[in-house]
Amino acid sequence: MLKAAYEWLDQRLDITPMWRDLADHEVPEHVNPAHHFSAFIYCFGGLTFFIVVIQILSGMFLTMYYVPDIENAWKSVDYLQNEIAFGQIVRGMHHWGASVSIVMLFLHTLRVFFTGSYKHPREFNWLIGLGLFGVMVGLGFTGYLLPWDNKAYFATKVGIEIAASVPVVGDAIATFLQGGEIVGAQTLARFFALHVFFLPAALLGLMGAHFFLIRKQGISGPL
Amino acid sequence: MSEKKSEQQKPGMSRRRFLTYTIASTGGFLASGVLFPMIRFAVDPLLQKGTDTKYVDVGPVDEFGSKPKSVEFRIKRKDGWYMKEDGEKATAWVAKHGAEILALSPICKHLGCTVHWEGGGHLNHFYCPCHGGLYTKDGVNVPGTPPNGPLDTYAYKVENGRLLLGPITKRGGGA
Amino acid sequence: MAHNDGNGKVHYVGDSRVRVREKKLLPKDYSEFPGKTEAFFPNFLLKEWMVAVVVLVGFMALVMAEEPPLGEQADPTNTGFLPVPDWYFLFLYELLKFKWASGPFVVLGTVVIPGLMVGGLVLAPWLDRGKDRRPMKRPTATGIALLTLVAIVTLTWVAWDEHEKQLAAQPKGSSEDAKIVDPQNPAYEIYKNNACVNCHGQKLEGLQGPALTGIGGAYTPEQLIDIMDKGKGTMPAGMFQGNEQEKRQLAEWLAKQYPPEEKESEQ
Repeated sequence: MLKAAYEWLDQRLDITPMWRDLADHEVPEHVNPAHHFSAFIYCFGGLTFFIVVIQILSGMFLTMYYVPDIENAWKSVDYLQNEIAFGQIVRGMHHWGASVSIVMLFLHTLRVFFTGSYKHPREFNWLIGLGLFGVMVGLGFTGYLLPWDNKAYFATKVGIEIAASVPVVGDAIATFLQGGEIVGAQTLARFFALHVFFLPAALLGLMGAHFFLIRKQGISGPL
Repeated sequence: MSEKKSEQQKPGMSRRRFLTYTIASTGGFLASGVLFPMIRFAVDPLLQKGTDTKYVDVGPVDEFGSKPKSVEFRIKRKDGWYMKEDGEKATAWVAKHGAEILALSPICKHLGCTVHWEGGGHLNHFYCPCHGGLYTKDGVNVPGTPPNGPLDTYAYKVENGRLLLGPITKRGGGA
Repeated sequence: MAHNDGNGKVHYVGDSRVRVREKKLLPKDYSEFPGKTEAFFPNFLLKEWMVAVVVLVGFMALVMAEEPPLGEQADPTNTGFLPVPDWYFLFLYELLKFKWASGPFVVLGTVVIPGLMVGGLVLAPWLDRGKDRRPMKRPTATGIALLTLVAIVTLTWVAWDEHEKQLAAQPKGSSEDAKIVDPQNPAYEIYKNNACVNCHGQKLEGLQGPALTGIGGAYTPEQLIDIMDKGKGTMPAGMFQGNEQEKRQLAEWLAKQYPPEEKESEQ
């Protein structure tokens, strides 16, 4: 039954070669932790992806309760964390996952750097990777404000002041981030939009490009 | 891989099939580990018990006669983290039927509009302006009009000559 | 469905552009490949996912052990609050405290140094063009990276240490970190299920009513019961709706709510 459905689809869309290409490609020995334990350093990229998946899922679920408004944001976070079953776990996954994903991403970047994997012909993928790093840090910065507690508020204020001290464009950046004259209602709305729509969209696009290039170029050879 | 060949010649499960099963269970573990807390989190409202509605004083019993009279009162209810300071507004059509008191919810059972006593010139009936639903004085829907059940009622208590209204209850049957 | 007529013409399914598959796709037999390569699916993916299982178990243990922090609701007028960015920004935050990277030279701290770091990373493939990939064979790149790493770790550590010290120097009790003493006590549940929580807050932090953290030094359990019965200030009488035993339990628990510094000296 399932097989018949698959074949029906395959005849029309020719999907087998797509996943077969992914499934059957050869993974070399030097990145396989089953052969060399030290190859675990090649796992950090995949683990970053895994944590990002957790972040996307837990983030989607959190927005079922979260309200991006200065009157209600903190109350809704307090409510979902303390009153809803598993609220503490789901928020915990998103909160700690943010730190863990930065750690994993950092370790992945270090691995790529120290194994010289960014070298020709993989320069472009290195740039995409740096873009991903930037987006992740942006997600961290915008997400930090959303619970609207003192820590979030004052850290964002400091962050925006640092941005404002950049010559020439600083004030424009600060006003763009603030959305108004102070860190307030409009800042929260805008950080929410950046955090759940713009940056994740950029993240997904860049991740797609990153993976496509890895498939196209293959993993860098052994040292 | 030579080990693969030798294993494939053994009877029973092939290596590839074994690997596929293992990976499916590993993936299942990962997915359930990640998703279980989130799904439980999302469906929490289904598993919450309703909050107890407190009885609200709507005035002296003597004020109500056999003719339905509309009363406005406020219910304090917590909606998640949100509670309106002076409560949500609610109305009831209250009438005496002999010794019994009937407090009807004004929410039409058709599509949720608000019904009125003798609205639209329909004497001795509750009338819903949206689609012309009619209910008799005791809240039973008139056959041939859109609603398919009687109006909900409020539970009530009389204490020290004052009428208190409580939670809404659905009535079955109807015409 | 079209078929292959053997003279090299490409055939399509119906009138779509999907090609008729000429031969069955079988999993490749890769035993003749050099080295111990293996197929991505299922062989390699299984190993990756096993690593993921280990990471997930560790991660969930962290999540269950550590409650995600949620401070008090943001209050822009709170002048006593010590701002601290998330840990991965701390090094930048600390950098801006140096004299040569603040005041008139703030551009150095906000633009030049981060710019050099980002620029260096962006240009790395072009700055480090040698064929060799081993870190030991390209000492400049490795050296700069290691120095930067050490600098980032040191700055982060210094910033964190400084923040801890500042927190410790702050007047206690008013600090956000004021913790509830013995939150496992069933009295905390009694507290949360009564009207108390509406004015004194989920974490005894105080809302319309005063904070109850640190109330331990101020009243005895008997005095607390008295306040619950008769009210005090704007607190109406008879706010506690539980039975006498629960009231006693709650009062005794509240009496244990010493301010944090006294608690710390006990330990």
